Amino acid sequence: MFPTPIEKQSRGMQIGYQAFLPVALVLWLLPLLAVALFSIKPDADFANGNFWGLPSSFEAFNNYGKVFFESNMPRYLLNSLLITVPTVIGAVALSAMAGFALGVYRFKGNLLIFFMFIAGNFVPFQILMVPVRDLTVSLGMYDTIRGLVLFHIAFQTGFCTLFMRNFIRALPFPLIEAARVEGIAEWRIFWYVVLPLMKPALAALAVLIFTFIWNDYFWAVVLTQGPSAQPVTAGITEFNSQFRAAYHLMSAGSIVAALPPVAMFFLMQKHFIAGLTLGAVK
Amino acid sequence: MRSIMKTSFAALAAASIAATAAIADGHQLSGDLKITSDMSNPAPRAVMEGLVADFGALHPDLNIELTIVDREAWKTQIRNALSANPPDVVNWYAANRMKPYVDAGLFADISDLWAEEEFAALASTKGAMTLNDAQWGVPYTYYQWGVYYRKDIFEELGLEEPTTWDEEKANCQAILDSGRKCYTIGSKFLWTAGGWFDYINSRTNGYDFHIALASGEIEWTDDRVRQTFANWRELIDMGAFIDDHQTYSWQEALPFMVNGEAASYLMGNFSVAAFREGGLTDDQLDFYQFPVINPDVDFAEDAPTDTFHLTSGAANPEAGKEFLRFVTSADVQTKINSGDALGQLPVNANSSIDDDKFLAEGFEMLSTNAGGGIMQFFDRDFSAEMASVGMEGLQEFMVFPDNLDDILARLEDTRQRIYQ
Repeated sequence: MFPTPIEKQSRGMQIGYQAFLPVALVLWLLPLLAVALFSIKPDADFANGNFWGLPSSFEAFNNYGKVFFESNMPRYLLNSLLITVPTVIGAVALSAMAGFALGVYRFKGNLLIFFMFIAGNFVPFQILMVPVRDLTVSLGMYDTIRGLVLFHIAFQTGFCTLFMRNFIRALPFPLIEAARVEGIAEWRIFWYVVLPLMKPALAALAVLIFTFIWNDYFWAVVLTQGPSAQPVTAGITEFNSQFRAAYHLMSAGSIVAALPPVAMFFLMQKHFIAGLTLGAVK
Repeated sequence: MRSIMKTSFAALAAASIAATAAIADGHQLSGDLKITSDMSNPAPRAVMEGLVADFGALHPDLNIELTIVDREAWKTQIRNALSANPPDVVNWYAANRMKPYVDAGLFADISDLWAEEEFAALASTKGAMTLNDAQWGVPYTYYQWGVYYRKDIFEELGLEEPTTWDEEKANCQAILDSGRKCYTIGSKFLWTAGGWFDYINSRTNGYDFHIALASGEIEWTDDRVRQTFANWRELIDMGAFIDDHQTYSWQEALPFMVNGEAASYLMGNFSVAAFREGGLTDDQLDFYQFPVINPDVDFAEDAPTDTFHLTSGAANPEAGKEFLRFVTSADVQTKINSGDALGQLPVNANSSIDDDKFLAEGFEMLSTNAGGGIMQFFDRDFSAEMASVGMEGLQEFMVFPDNLDDILARLEDTRQRIYQ
């Protein structure tokens, strides 16, 4: 098996590994640690250059209090939720059905449709910026949560369908055939046979899409404008006032904004890893 | 100072008479007045809403509809907003920034307002509101630029506020000899270098030359422009600026001054709040006007001005004009610029200001000692494209002064492409 598990390697390698792991970890997490540190500093520390030292006063409650009670952050967080959850549900539901059709039925053009889903993933979304903006404006959905959700669903479904179709292909086909022999309607096969088997894939995909959409910045900036519809990733710039950037508040806001996907990952870890290995081992 | 107070009182009296006159007129104002404002940050937003409430109280028959748009978003939305179903009054900026909308016929000519007696008090920004020999808007607030310096360091070294270029350089040499840098600056986002160019160029060649250069009438390779850079280079060659300034934002350059590694900062008045937060007291921090370089030219000052405009498609121009009169009156400008509102300077010379030494010095400087004219800052006076190429060149010059010929040739290319 490659790579050789660390416990089977020589003692020297193990010590080296144990020594470097913390170093790599700290290096890797340094930006995050800095943001966490900044989020408990007072504004004064940024004006007198105390970036890395101990905070001159402990302002965690103050900073986080301001983020929650004196800014539009709660509204932005709510927007993020209102954008992310419908997108996850929509994209996963659509792709489960599309994946079922593409994975189970043999019909002309099956492969062609499947390839079109894949090809959609290869279109860099930056080139869609102007047409998509124009489209949402003319549909009257510019600067609305609805508009962002619809677009995200449309764009994510391509990737999700690829994932789902391959997963369904890997399911034991005799199960479906057995159900057919019993004379069960196709939609009941989907609902009672295939869907329960897909649970790990659904969970994995939901976690993945949740993180994608929650962290989306590009479309948030292109398609929305103010606190009424903007998600938290774009709203965080609100702490840039006309002249000065409030680094301490921005840091506190970033931590708050990063928590939901992290929490999501830890809560769903079992499904996530189950989904990955289930897909890999036939 | 005392004379200012006196004139302010006189003006207040005059303004209240004017206000009563306005009320008398006001009975005829009716219909709708649509205002679109970009004052979206919390404090300015409260100011704008207060303005509308007060104006509405003066004109009860008038139905005022206020739309507040995000300040950044407004910069891209304004054209759309002005061309389709325009509001009566909008916010914007002075000088070259209003040129596209003036040229497109979207702002209304309000020269008749400026001809009224009360508008003499706004003379300091009249030049900035003038394009094609007519005025296109009114100012409601601005803030001064100048040199903020560490008074305690100056006292320790026995230095005085300089008034001439030679004194400036002598001071700087003394500061350098004490192991500090003269000026902190963070040129990462380029615009801070624009401030230095504005000042050195206008002090060397005068306001009219500076504005002519900004509007593309003068070649960048002109000898007078070269003289500006030669003056600037004297400071660069002395090592007057902090090292590696191209890697800092303006905020990240603050600690050098707060910690005493640099003695001064050419900046706008918004920096004072940051200095104070960093721990500098008013005994340690002071302000002086950028010194004279060429004694033949009058002082011109950077004071970016925010404005109101009447649109050419206004449905209710009478009410719009009355609103412009209202926001420029001395007492209204006093109120909206006070410390708990915008915290900036009123443009009306008859207004009074908060008890703050930097505001007081700035107000006096702009009202009485800026005879050359008010510049709007590099990125507002120059057209957008020229400004972006220009500021890159200025930053490069500050880091590699030997590249000057290259830089000027590049800027000249850009000027010819943009303006011809």
